[in-house]
Amino acid sequence: MKRISQYGIYLFLLVILSACSGGKNDRDSILEYWSSNNIGEITFSQKIVEAWNLEHPGSTLKFQPIPEGQSSEEIILAAVVGKTTPDIYSNMWQGSVEFYAKANVLIPLDTLAGFDNFIRDRCDSLTIREITSSDGHIYQFPWKINPFMTIYNKKFLAELNLDSLPETYTEYLNAAEKFKKDLTGDGYIDQWFGNTSVRLVWYQRLFNFYTLYIAASDGLPLIKNNRASFNNEYAIGVFRFLQEIYKQDYFSKEDQTAGQDPFLAGKIASKFTGPWEIEYLERYKPEGFEFDYFPIPVPDDHQGPIYTYCDPKSIVIFNTCREPQLAFEFIKTMVDKKGDLLFLQSTKQLPRRKGLDTIKAYENFFNENQRLQAFVEQAKYIRGMDNCEVITEVFDIITQEYEACVLYDMKEPEKAIADAERAVNILLGNRK
Amino acid sequence: MSRMKVTKIIIYILLIGAGFSFLYPFYWMILASLTPESQLGNFNLLPLEISFENYLLMFSKIPIFRSLLNSTVVAASSTTGVLVFGSMIGYALAKRDFRGRNALFFIIIFTMTLPFQITLIPNYVLMVKFRWVDTFAALIIPSLNSAFAIIMFRQVFKGIPDDLIDAARVDGCGELRIIFQVLWPNIIPTIITVGIITFMNSWNEVLWPLIVIRDENLMTMPQLVTLFAVGGRSDAQLGVKLASAVLLALPIIIAYSIFQKHFIRSMASSGLKG
Amino acid sequence: MRIQSKKSMISYFLVSPYLVHLILFVSFPVIFSVVLTFHKWNIISEMQYVGIDNYTRLFQDRLFWKSLVNTLTFLVVHIPLQIIIALALAYILDQKIFCKGFFRATFFLPVVISGVVVTMIWKQLYGVDTGLINKLLVSIGLGKVEWMTNKNIAMISIAIMATWKNVGLYVILFLVGLQSVPQRYYEAADVEGASRWQKFRYITLPAINPTIFMVTILSTIGGFNLFIEPYIMTGGGPLNSTLSAVLYIYKQAFEFYHMGYSASLGLIFAFIIMMVVVIQKYMIEKDE
Repeated sequence: MKRISQYGIYLFLLVILSACSGGKNDRDSILEYWSSNNIGEITFSQKIVEAWNLEHPGSTLKFQPIPEGQSSEEIILAAVVGKTTPDIYSNMWQGSVEFYAKANVLIPLDTLAGFDNFIRDRCDSLTIREITSSDGHIYQFPWKINPFMTIYNKKFLAELNLDSLPETYTEYLNAAEKFKKDLTGDGYIDQWFGNTSVRLVWYQRLFNFYTLYIAASDGLPLIKNNRASFNNEYAIGVFRFLQEIYKQDYFSKEDQTAGQDPFLAGKIASKFTGPWEIEYLERYKPEGFEFDYFPIPVPDDHQGPIYTYCDPKSIVIFNTCREPQLAFEFIKTMVDKKGDLLFLQSTKQLPRRKGLDTIKAYENFFNENQRLQAFVEQAKYIRGMDNCEVITEVFDIITQEYEACVLYDMKEPEKAIADAERAVNILLGNRK
Repeated sequence: MSRMKVTKIIIYILLIGAGFSFLYPFYWMILASLTPESQLGNFNLLPLEISFENYLLMFSKIPIFRSLLNSTVVAASSTTGVLVFGSMIGYALAKRDFRGRNALFFIIIFTMTLPFQITLIPNYVLMVKFRWVDTFAALIIPSLNSAFAIIMFRQVFKGIPDDLIDAARVDGCGELRIIFQVLWPNIIPTIITVGIITFMNSWNEVLWPLIVIRDENLMTMPQLVTLFAVGGRSDAQLGVKLASAVLLALPIIIAYSIFQKHFIRSMASSGLKG
Repeated sequence: MRIQSKKSMISYFLVSPYLVHLILFVSFPVIFSVVLTFHKWNIISEMQYVGIDNYTRLFQDRLFWKSLVNTLTFLVVHIPLQIIIALALAYILDQKIFCKGFFRATFFLPVVISGVVVTMIWKQLYGVDTGLINKLLVSIGLGKVEWMTNKNIAMISIAIMATWKNVGLYVILFLVGLQSVPQRYYEAADVEGASRWQKFRYITLPAINPTIFMVTILSTIGGFNLFIEPYIMTGGGPLNSTLSAVLYIYKQAFEFYHMGYSASLGLIFAFIIMMVVVIQKYMIEKDE
C-alpha cells in the first residue's frame, strides 16, 4: 500500500510538472510566423516560407497555423498575456490593432527601413490613412480584404420580374414584399427575402449595420477625434431600413443556426456576405442552384459608387521579435506583386492592393475566376475599421440599441442612435 | 371501479407522463444526432433515416476525443487530490489536537459560504502570473482541495472509535498509513460519495476552463462542446452540434446506468449535509 | 515538549495541502480582488489606479442592476416550481408504486448530465418556428409561444429548464424527508378520520419543512451561479433579459477586458449573495 501511494504521488507530481511546461517552445529558426487556419492561407504560407528559407538559409523561418481555439482573437490575446507570441502574425483584424498598439506589444512598422516606399507602392492613401494609429505610427501592414456584397438566388430574383436588381432601400423592400410567402398555410411565413444575424454578439453587426452604414455614408467613420460621429442620417437610415424589414417580417427573427443553410435550402433569396461564401456554396449547392452578387443596398437618394465594408486583415510584428527588420523583409515577399498573385491563386481572396484589375500579370487569373470580378470592382470602394482600442465595446453598445430598435421596435431609430452616441461618448470619455 | 383504483390509475398516468417528459428530450437528442441535416425538422417519435454523417463531420472539425481524454485526466486528478488531501485534513481535524485546529475548521466552513464570483477574476490573474494559462496546471491544481470533502471526512472520522487508531499506532503505523490503510476501508461509502460528487462536478465544470484554456487541444469536453455549439465552426449545422452533445453526455449516462444507486445516494447525502 | 512539537509538526504536515490552497486560491484572491477593484486593467497593459471609479460606475450601471433583477426573476419562478413539482413527485413515489426505482432514476438523470447538454437540447425545444414544444402546441390547437425571443418570457423559460434539470435531486431529498415521518402519526390521524389532504397539511408538511428550506437555499445558490444556460441559449438577450450576473461579469472581463471593473462587480455580487444566504439561514433558525 505504501508503495502504491508512493507511486501515486510521483505520478501526480509528474502530471503537475508536465503541465507546468507550457511556454515558448525552443526554436532553432530565427523567426516564427503564424497564419490563420484557412486551408488556402496555410498552403500559401507554406510556399512563401519555403521560398524564403531557400533564399535565406542563415535566417530561416518557422511557420505554423494559429493554434485552434474559440477565436483567433482570444488565442492571440492569450499569447500576448503568456508572452508566447510569434514574431509575425498575418490574420490580425484591422480593428484589433489599436488595442495591441496602445499596449505596446506591436512594432511600429514605419520605423523600419524601406517601409514608406513599399507601402505607397501597394496601397492607396485612403488605406494608409485608415491604418495609421492615433499616435501617428503605423503598426500593421494591410494584407487582405473580403468585401461584403449581396448574394442572390438567380432563379428567385428572376421569378420576381423586377426591372433591375434592387439597389435602393425602397427597391429592396418592394422585392422583399413580393417574395415573402407563407408556403404551408399555417399562418407563419416560411420564405423570406433575406436573412442576417440576430445574434447579439458585437461582431455580428459587421454583417448588417456596419456594412449598410458604410454603403450609405460612402465610408464615414464611427469614431472621430475620440468622439462618436455616427449620429447622422445614414446610421438612422440604416436602422430604419432594417427595422422596417423586421416589422414586415421580410427577414426571420429567429436565429437561423438550426437546420440547413437557409440560402441553399431556398428559404431565403439573398444575403449580405463576402467572397468566402463562393467556395462553400459551390461545394454544397443542389442541382441547378445559381447565384450571383450585387452591391449592398443604399438609401434612395444615394449618388455615386457604392462603398462597402471589407473585413480587412493585416500583418503585424509583435515586439517579442528580435529581428523586426528581417521580419519586414519576409513580409515584403508575402505582399509584393508575386506574393499577391500566389495569394490570389491559393486562397481566392483579394489582397489589399490598389488597382488589381490593372495589373497585367493578374489578368489570366481573373479571366479564369469570373466570379471574383464583381469583388475586384467593389474593391475600389471599400472601408475597413476605425482605430479605436475599445471598438468591440462600441459595437456592443450599438448592438444593444440595434436590438431595441431594429429587432424589437421599441425605439425610434433617431432615439436609438442618439442613445448609442451618448453611451459611446461616455465610454470614450472614460479613456484617460 | 373503486376510488383507490382510479387514483392509482391517475397516479400512474402522471408518473408515466412525467417520466416521458424527462426521457424524451434525451431520446430526441440522440435521434437527431443520427439524422441527416435535411431531415431534422421532420421526425417526431420514430427515426426517418439513420446516418452517421453528423458524427463523422464532427470528428473532422473538433478534437472531441482529445477533450474526452483531457476531461478524464482533469477529473481523475482532481478527485484523487480531493480524496487524498480531504482525508488528511479531515483526519487531522477529527483526531489530532493542535494549535489552531478550531480556527482552521471555522475558516473551512467560512470558505464554503464564499461565493466563487469574488475569487474568479483574481484566480485567473494568478494563473496568468504563474504562466499556467493554457496548461493542465490551471485546471487541476486549484481543484485539488475541497472544503466539502474535508467536512465530510472529518465527520465520518469523528465517528470512528479512537481505539482502532491507537491500536494501529501501537503496531507502528505512521499517520498516513493509518489514514489510508486502516481507516479508509472503514469509510468506503463516504469515499464513494465524495468521489462521485467531485468527479461529476469536475467533469461538468465549464466556466473555469472557458476562462483559463484557449488552446483547443487542452480544452475539456463540456468546454469544447459549448464553443462548438455557439461558435461558427459547426457551420450552423444542428445535427453536428447535437452529435457533440451526445458524446458529452454519453460517459455520464453510462456511468449513471451502472452506478445509479451510488450517484443518487451520494448526492442526497451531500444535500442533506449542506 | 519535544514530543508535543513533533506531534504538532505532523498535524501541520497533514493540513499543509489545504493551507497552501487556502493561501493561494482563497486568501490571496479575496485580497487581490479588493485591490483590483480600485484599478483599471486590461491584462496586457499596466494596472492603473483609479480610486473608486469602478464603484461609481457600478452603481450607475443599468446592466448590472438588470442582471440582479433577472436573477430575482429566475428565483421567483424557479424555487416555487421546484418545490411544488419535486414535492408532488416525491409524494407520489412515496406510495406503493411499481418500478419506483426506475422512475426515481429517470427523474434524477438530468441532474447528472452536464448543463451544456441540457441547454443545447432545450434550445431546440424552445425554438419558435422549429422547436418541438411549439410544434406540439400548434398541433393541439394552441399558438406558438416566443419562449426565447420575448423579453418577458425568456428568463422564465430558462427557469423552467433549470427546474427540469434539478427537480430529480430534490425529489430524492423530499423522499428522504417523507420517509422519515413516523408511520404512527399517520395511523393516529387515520383513527381520527382525517382526509388525505388533512394528513398532508398537518403531518407531512411540517415534518418536511427543513427539507423545503434546504431546497430553497440550494436553489437560491444555484440561481446566483447561473451562467452556462444563458451563455448558450441567448448570450444574455433578448434585450438583456437573460443576462445573469455571472454572465455579465464574464463579459466585462473576457469580452472587453475590464479586469478592474469586473472584479468590483464580482465583489459586490458576492456580498449580495452572502447577505441573502445569511437572511435565509436566519429565517430558518427563527422558525426552528
